[in-house]
Amino acid sequence: MNLTPPSASAAPAMVMTPEGPWGRVRPARRNADRLMKIIATAFTLVAITVLFWILGMLVVKGIGGLSAGTFTQITPGPGTEGGGLAGTYLAEYGRGSKLANLIRFINDILLSAPSILIGLFVYVILVEPFRGYSGWAGGVALGIIAIPVIVRTTEDMLRLVPAPLREAGSALGAPPSVVITAITWRAAKSGMVTGILLALARIAGETAPLLFTALNNNFWFSPTLVGGVSNLPVTIYQFASAPYENWQQLAWAGSLIITVSILLLSLIARRIVRGGK
Amino acid sequence: MLSTLELSPQVLDAQAPIRIAVKNLDFYYGEHKALKNVNLSFRDRHVTALIGPSGCGKSTLLRIFNRIYSLYPEQRATGEVLLDGRNVISNDVDVNELRSRIGMVFQKPTPFPMSIYDNVAFGIRLYEKPPKSELDDRVEGALRRSALWDEVKDKLKSSGMGLSGGQQQRLCIARTIAQKPEVILFDEPTSALDPISTGKIEDLLEQLKTDFTIVIVTHNMQQAARVSQYTAFMYLGEVVEFDATNTIFMNPNKKQTQDYVTGRFG
Amino acid sequence: MAAVTDQMASGLPAIRRTPKGTFDLVFRNASFLAALFVLVLLAGIIGAMVAGGWPAFREFGFGFLTSSVWDTQNEQYGAFPAIVGTLSTALIALVVGVPLSLGIAVFLTQLAPPWFKRPVSTAIELLAAVPSIIYGMWGLFVFVPLFAAYVQIPLSNIVEGMPIVGTVLYSRSPSGLGILTAGIILAFMIIPFIASITRDMLEQIPSVLRESAYGIGATTWEVVRHVLVPQAGVSIIGAIMLGLGRALGETMAVTFVVGNANRLSASVMDPGSTIASRIANEFNEALGLQLHALIALGCILFFVTFVVLVIARILVARVKSF
Repeated sequence: MNLTPPSASAAPAMVMTPEGPWGRVRPARRNADRLMKIIATAFTLVAITVLFWILGMLVVKGIGGLSAGTFTQITPGPGTEGGGLAGTYLAEYGRGSKLANLIRFINDILLSAPSILIGLFVYVILVEPFRGYSGWAGGVALGIIAIPVIVRTTEDMLRLVPAPLREAGSALGAPPSVVITAITWRAAKSGMVTGILLALARIAGETAPLLFTALNNNFWFSPTLVGGVSNLPVTIYQFASAPYENWQQLAWAGSLIITVSILLLSLIARRIVRGGK
Repeated sequence: MLSTLELSPQVLDAQAPIRIAVKNLDFYYGEHKALKNVNLSFRDRHVTALIGPSGCGKSTLLRIFNRIYSLYPEQRATGEVLLDGRNVISNDVDVNELRSRIGMVFQKPTPFPMSIYDNVAFGIRLYEKPPKSELDDRVEGALRRSALWDEVKDKLKSSGMGLSGGQQQRLCIARTIAQKPEVILFDEPTSALDPISTGKIEDLLEQLKTDFTIVIVTHNMQQAARVSQYTAFMYLGEVVEFDATNTIFMNPNKKQTQDYVTGRFG
Repeated sequence: MAAVTDQMASGLPAIRRTPKGTFDLVFRNASFLAALFVLVLLAGIIGAMVAGGWPAFREFGFGFLTSSVWDTQNEQYGAFPAIVGTLSTALIALVVGVPLSLGIAVFLTQLAPPWFKRPVSTAIELLAAVPSIIYGMWGLFVFVPLFAAYVQIPLSNIVEGMPIVGTVLYSRSPSGLGILTAGIILAFMIIPFIASITRDMLEQIPSVLRESAYGIGATTWEVVRHVLVPQAGVSIIGAIMLGLGRALGETMAVTFVVGNANRLSASVMDPGSTIASRIANEFNEALGLQLHALIALGCILFFVTFVVLVIARILVARVKSF
């Protein structure tokens, strides 16, 4: 490298190699760079193609059967409040405490734990002892899957609330519970709603845990949720594996409904997160 | 520098009672000692300014008076801060009640995510349950006192977050005085504001001192000279000099103070 | 000082009503208990799994892990084929998915023009939102026939009789179902996780570092290869481990395409089964010891994924803090 002091006149210093100022990048380097760029772009295209292929397949095959089926779904009740409170504890009370760090770590693990294991867990503690599949057991399984998602997003969103806002609440003499419920929760409201939406999106498509808990009853929706209830994912699973043409048609329609609604939920949730920041 | 300072007509009442007395106060952030043996007194219905370079401990000192530091477990204070003779840093003080008696206005405006009306009523509702008409009067009174009423009287139900920065800061002042505190702490209240909003806040301080004891932290020396009657100059966690504002700016005793107020360092 | 206090007392506003401390205490404790519930949940899962699988572990002992028999008539159960199936599908998913994910992350952070970046990022993340059963149906009805016709049959003709590859890649019944198919579907399911975490990690690297590398004349590839990847290194491994955790436990998509064979085969083109697919397939008809054997399988899956996820979280967390 031929370094020239800034005071020297520029023109002669530009000529540094016998070949002249340009062409110093060896072809091999340039080709490696080009190859990498092409590969990276191609890989991205592959992934996007798969997404649109799946969506296209659902639309083409599912649109015909749309009118045919009516489906019921279970929603999570207890997971939401519990998850919100736990996230609040981690963000507001548990800063820096070792126990809170442990809980956060375990929660992150549960967040990615296989859902089939949650189904087995609920089977062992609820279905087997009480001798019967039920919508309740399915709801509990989905609630347990939802909890880590809600805990995590609640904590993340509360942490985005600036500290001076909390201090201003305290400076008026508000006790911590009032500061949290009246100020920080309000400030983080959109983010916390996002957490619930994301959790909904996650559990709406869950099939595995319902196989062992809610089982499926596609003829009757019992208002007491005892004895198994109908739910879309398991219906799809059973109909899709059935040999009858019209059943498969229904499975496609169900898949279209569920996928479109989940993708919409995810998109809305993303919108809110972006707007909140 | 000295010539550019416009000093306010100083009406010092040397007989005014002492509202807050600080004695042998030390403060720690974890292991780090941020305040060393601070001794100060703050007179009733006067404005006292705390000045000094960044990191000198002036904001730290302010945050002790209403125990806001207690929110953070690793921070602690030793010594005495007497509010009307009672040591507020002892553990038996109800911090929430203390904070309702000592209001605080922060560097950046902190409107709560609720309506303008609810922002001002927030502090009142915490401690009192006045009938609706009285609450309305208190909110209006506080907004008038903070010179915000005319700008917001038609949109009391809209969000406080929609106001401009200067309006938000006056909203925070209204919220604080609505609670009828005895002392108000201002932590660099104008450093995030434009000059016009700053002027309005300074005018407010002048009026508020007829009812409240005011302590203001500022890095702006002209501001300290304009609004305060007493000034404490702090450096590296210690109070270097504390005296009437005129004395500090015109005729300081210490060389360090002289250098700082004339802009030679800091 | 006493005089001061008296004088001030007269000027005090009306006696202040202190807010009730009870709600404060109740709220704090409620949120604490809710947080503790996360730990209880983990303990409950471990306890339920071990208790539910215990009869099988007691019956077969260590042999449960190594036996290849799965005979419901004679009540003989071994986990070996399912464990091998789980590990091999996950491994294939990583081999296929990791290069794709890294390529995507590089494209998103270094190559994509700004206006193009957000829609592509969203599309990649939406791949994670597609329910796994939909991947299964796509795999079964779209991918499997194509894979059988254009990969399995021609490839089997080529490799037939060759040493090693003739065994590993030969399909006895080219139906399109099998371990390799499951691995490929899994690869697409883990791509969004690995790609988006890697993208975030690459974006966190201070841009001065990148600019100074470009400043001495490095090409994009050299910047990525020598500066960005080493800098983000450990966390990329963490992201891969997270993907691995997901691949190990994925159920529905695999159940559709893995072929659900109980025997062990040396070829990745042949049908097999994974722990999760075996549980999903047999659970509803299982009775007695078979049920316990399935829960015992779940128990094994739990400990494997737990270890993988713990390592992943530690690696990801370590780099975030630097």
